[in-house]
Amino acid sequence: MLKFEWLLDRDKPNNSVFLLRSKIELGDVTQHNIRQLKKLNQVVFPVSYNDKFYKDVLEAGELAKLAYYNDIVVGAVCCRIDLSENSRRLYIMTLGCLKQYRRLGIGTKMVEHILNYVQTDGSFDSIFLHVQVNNASAIEFYKKFGFEIVETKEHYYKRIEPADAHVLQKTLRQANGLPHAAKSDSASDVKSETTQ
Amino acid sequence: MPSSNPLPPKENALFKRILKCYEQKQYKNGLKFAKQILSNPKYAEHGETLAMKGLTLNCLGRKEEAYDYVRRGLRNDLRSHVCWHVYGLLQRSDKKYDEAIKCYRNALKWEKDNIQILRDLSLLQIQMRDLDGYKDTRYQLFMLRPTQRASWIGFAMAYHLLKDFSTALRILEDFRKTQAQKSNFDYEHSELLLYQNMVLHESGALQEAISHLERYSEQICDKLSILETYGELYLESGRWKESEEIYRKLLLRNPENTKYYKLLQEALRLTDPEEKLKLFEEYRERFPRAQAPQRLPLALATGDTFKTLVDKYLRRGLHKGVPPLFVDLRSLYKDPEKVNIIHNLILQYIDSLKTCGNFAMNESESANEPASALLWALYYMSQHYDFLGDTNKALEAINAAIDHTPTLIELFVTKGRIFKHAGDLVEAYKWMDEAQGLDTADRYINSKCAKYLLRANLVKEAEEKCSKFTREGVTAMENLNEMQCMWFQTECALAYQRMELFGESLKKCHEIDRHFSEIIEDQFDFHTYCMRKMTLRSYVGLLRLEDVLRAHPFYFKAARCAIQVYLRLHDKPLTDDSQQQELNTAPAPLFRTVPRVSRIQQSVFEQQLVFVLKFMLCHSAIVAEAAAIQPD
Repeated sequence: MLKFEWLLDRDKPNNSVFLLRSKIELGDVTQHNIRQLKKLNQVVFPVSYNDKFYKDVLEAGELAKLAYYNDIVVGAVCCRIDLSENSRRLYIMTLGCLKQYRRLGIGTKMVEHILNYVQTDGSFDSIFLHVQVNNASAIEFYKKFGFEIVETKEHYYKRIEPADAHVLQKTLRQANGLPHAAKSDSASDVKSETTQ
Repeated sequence: MPSSNPLPPKENALFKRILKCYEQKQYKNGLKFAKQILSNPKYAEHGETLAMKGLTLNCLGRKEEAYDYVRRGLRNDLRSHVCWHVYGLLQRSDKKYDEAIKCYRNALKWEKDNIQILRDLSLLQIQMRDLDGYKDTRYQLFMLRPTQRASWIGFAMAYHLLKDFSTALRILEDFRKTQAQKSNFDYEHSELLLYQNMVLHESGALQEAISHLERYSEQICDKLSILETYGELYLESGRWKESEEIYRKLLLRNPENTKYYKLLQEALRLTDPEEKLKLFEEYRERFPRAQAPQRLPLALATGDTFKTLVDKYLRRGLHKGVPPLFVDLRSLYKDPEKVNIIHNLILQYIDSLKTCGNFAMNESESANEPASALLWALYYMSQHYDFLGDTNKALEAINAAIDHTPTLIELFVTKGRIFKHAGDLVEAYKWMDEAQGLDTADRYINSKCAKYLLRANLVKEAEEKCSKFTREGVTAMENLNEMQCMWFQTECALAYQRMELFGESLKKCHEIDRHFSEIIEDQFDFHTYCMRKMTLRSYVGLLRLEDVLRAHPFYFKAARCAIQVYLRLHDKPLTDDSQQQELNTAPAPLFRTVPRVSRIQQSVFEQQLVFVLKFMLCHSAIVAEAAAIQPD
C-alpha cells in the first residue's frame, strides 16, 4: 500500500554516539558577553583590570578570545600589539582558564590561536608576557611552546606576593642588531598575569 | 432595482470612475470625480455619489465626514442598494458587524442577486457565527454561480459547520466528481480530498472514510496526514492490527513523537505497565539516539526498573550538559519514591565525580566524565532542593556550582529563582539582573529579568530592561502592546494591583482583552483566503480555535486580575483623597487616565460582568466541546 521500507535502515544502532568528546572552541569577545570575561578574570587572576583594559579588548579582534568547553566559557586570552623599543611585538596581557577546567587542552588551544595569528601576520619580532616568579606550572606551560625567561623584574606587581615577575619571550625573527631579550617595558600600563 | 434617481450618461460614466478609483485605491481621484458630479446643482444631493464620497473619505481616515456623507446619501436614496451596501461597508470597517449585516440585508432587498453584496454578507455571517444565515447566503451564491469552486466549497462548509454531514458530503462528492485531476502534484485538490475525509470522519462513517482514503491516497500529497488519519480511523473502528502497523510506520518517520507511542500502545491493547516498558525498550534499541523512548517509560516504571532507567537518563543528560534536565524530569516528582531514588543518585554522582571524575566509585574505566559533569550535577541538585522547598540546601548547591564555574549564566538564573520561591523578590531580581548582564544579547534572560523586576513592583525598571530589545523610537510599553506581549502586560497589571494603582492595572487588563478581540477580528481575512487556497482543514481548525479563544490561560489571568480590581473598587470606592494620591504617586502616563478611573468606577459592575461573561462563554464552549468528544 505505502512504501516506507527505506526508512527501516536509516537509524542503525550506534552506541558510540553517547560518548561524545568534549569540545573546545574559541569565540569573540563582544559588548554583550564582556561581563563573562570580567567574571572569569576576577576569579582566575590575582590582579584586577581597569575599565580601559576591557574597552581595548573590545577593539582587539582576534587578539582577544573566549574559550568554550562544552559551550561554557571557561577561559580567555587577551593580547595587544607592543611597538616600544623599535620592534613589533605581541604582548599577552592575560591568558587563563578556570581551575576546574585546567589540563584539558584549553590553554594550548588559546596559545595555538595566538601563534597562528602572529605567523599569519608575519610582521612580529616576538611574543612576550609577564609571569609571577613562583608560577612554576605557567612557566613550564610556556616553555613547551618555545618561550624562554629573558629577564626578571623586581617589584613588578604592587599588591601581590611575590612581587617579582619573569619576562617570558618567544623570538619569531631576529630584529636587526637588537638584543632579542627586550629591555624593561615601562610603557606597559597594564599588569599581566598568566595562569594555566 | 435601479436607483430612484438615475444619472444621465455623462454623470453615470463619472460615477463608474469613482467606483473604479475606490477599487484601485486611488482615493484622491475618486474624490475629484465625485466633486464633478456634485458640483452640478442638479445632482448636488445625489445619494449614491454622496455615499461613495463618504466611503472614499473613510479610506483617507476622515471618519466623521465619511459617516456624514454616507448617511446623507442614504437619506436621499433609501431605495438604492449601493447606498445600503456602502453604509454596510463603512460599519464593517468600524467593526460594527451586526449593524453591517442589517445594512447588507437592506441592500439585498433592492437587489437580491448582487454577488458582491452576498459575498460580503456571507463573510460577516461566518465571522459572527450566524451559521444558519451563512448557509442561506452560501446557497444563494451557489445557485447564482454554480461554476465557481468557492461556491461549492462555501456551500458544503456551511452544512459541515452546522453538523449536517450528509448534505455537506453530498455537495463535496458532487463537486469532487466535476474536478478533473490536473497533474500528479495538485496540492489544492489533495487538500480538498483530505477535507472531504475529515467531514466523513467527523460524521462517524469510519468505514467510508477508510475506503475514501484507500481510493484517493495516490492523489493526496500530504503523506503524513494520510498515515495519521489511517491510524485514527483504524483505532476508532477497532482494527487493532492495521492501526498498529500504521503507528509503527509513523514511529519510523519520527521516533520523537510521544503521541504515536501512546496510540501504538492503544493499538496493541497494552494495559500492563511491564508490557508497555518492553515496547519502549524495543524502540530504545532501534533508535538509540531518540529521546522519547527513554523519557516516556520513566513515568511508568517503578522501583528498581525506574532506578536503572533514570540512572541512565540522568547520566546521559549530565554528561552532555542538558540545561533543562530538571525541568524535563520535574513531572516525576509527584511520586515520592521516585524523588527519593533521584535524590540518592544525584548525591552519589556528586560524591564520586568529586573523588574520581566518574558517576560511580567502582567504575575504574579511563573514560572520565567531562569536567562540566560535576557542574551540571550541582545545578540539578540545587533545582531539586528548591523544588522540595529546602532553600538552604538549594542555595548551598547553587553556590558550589557558581564556585565551580562562575561564568555559567543558568546558575545565576537559578539562584534568582530560589530567592523568588523563598519569597525574597528583591534578592531574586538582583541575581536575575546579574545573569542578564552576562549575556545582554539573550532576549530570554532579558525577559526573565523584566518579569522578576515586575514581581518586585519595579515597573519602570522592567520597561527599561525590555527597551533593549524593543523597537527604537517608541516607548517599550507601546511597542510591547503593539506586539501583543501579554505576559509583560499581565505582570504589569498585577504589579499595579499590588501597588493599588487600580487605574493603571485596569488599563493593562483591558489592553489584554483588546488583544483577544484583535485576534478574533484577524480571522476576517482568512474567510476569503482559506477558501481560495483550499486549506480547509486548517480553516475549520481556526474557526474552532477562535470560538474558544478567551478560554486561554492568558485571558484567564488578566480577567481574574481585572475582576479582583473591580470588586475592590466596588467594595471600597476611591475617595477623592485616594485618587489624588494615586495621581501623585503614579508614574507620568497615569495623568491621562485618572479622569477615567472615576468613570470606570460607575460602570464597575458592567465591566466586571463583561470579563466574567467573556471567559465563561468560551469556557462553557470548551466544556461542551469536550463533552461532545468524550461521551463518557
